[in-house]
Amino acid sequence: MTLQFLRNKVIEVEPRPDGDLSVSWRLTDDLLKAEIQLIVQPPELEIIEAEARLERYPPLSCRDASNLIKKVEGVSIGSGLRKILAGLLGGTVGCSILMDAVLESSNAVILHFTRPGIEAGETVADPDKKLAALRERLKTNPRLVRSCIAFQDESPIMAGLNL
Amino acid sequence: MVTFQRTQVVGAEFLDEHTIRFNGIQEDHIYGMEISMKVRIDDGTILQIQGHMKRYTNFVCPQAISVLPKAVGLSLREAEWDKQVMREIGRKGCEHLAEIIIECGRCLDSAILSRDLARALKENPDLRQEEFLNSRKR
Repeated sequence: MTLQFLRNKVIEVEPRPDGDLSVSWRLTDDLLKAEIQLIVQPPELEIIEAEARLERYPPLSCRDASNLIKKVEGVSIGSGLRKILAGLLGGTVGCSILMDAVLESSNAVILHFTRPGIEAGETVADPDKKLAALRERLKTNPRLVRSCIAFQDESPIMAGLNL
Repeated sequence: MVTFQRTQVVGAEFLDEHTIRFNGIQEDHIYGMEISMKVRIDDGTILQIQGHMKRYTNFVCPQAISVLPKAVGLSLREAEWDKQVMREIGRKGCEHLAEIIIECGRCLDSAILSRDLARALKENPDLRQEEFLNSRKR
């Protein structure tokens, strides 16, 4: 059966020589071609530059995307981001495509920092040591607790942790 | 070099006038997962869902597949449906499976619009596509 609609989305995080992170978010489907580019500055993870280009047939509410995206400059990636972006880019006069793009780009930045720890864990062969490392990660990242099935109270990973 | 990359691909098949099937794939440097879900077009209700976890980070993750049936009956047209998916499937199962469901759900209206535009263009090849799309609520 042929497809009536196909969407492709790619998000990339690439550190720059100056230490900032360049984040590219691109979407293409039958009706929309969209691209946002963020420059994120560690350690505060402040979005210091933001650009957007929406082509093909963007919804009318997103026609001013290249100006709208400027509202996120100065915003830092961290707790409360969803609420902040809803205030800046959401609502009846906002553009949900941009809001989702910035949230997904921010998530990619977090995963950029998460990846080395996960890779280090993969080098541990002993299951008991692997479990101990996971539990240690939970102790230092309380936000992970009950964030998914692996970290719910009944999970074997959580056994005896009292978190 | 690129230190993290994520790709999402969502394809939409119209099985009949009332049913659409989304096939969503998410691949990134850490996770690799897929969702296939059937949705009733009239009200956006998820009728059937299947998932496949290819790459994940710990031995408990694959149990998240057992949580997917909670998505059946949920409507993609309800207010804050995406938050409900993240709460029911993401937090109780796996947030990355939830991300694919949400992307599939976001494609519902665009897929219908795309189908309708293709049909309208068949009837009238001179149709102004932008006018057609702007005449539809989106």
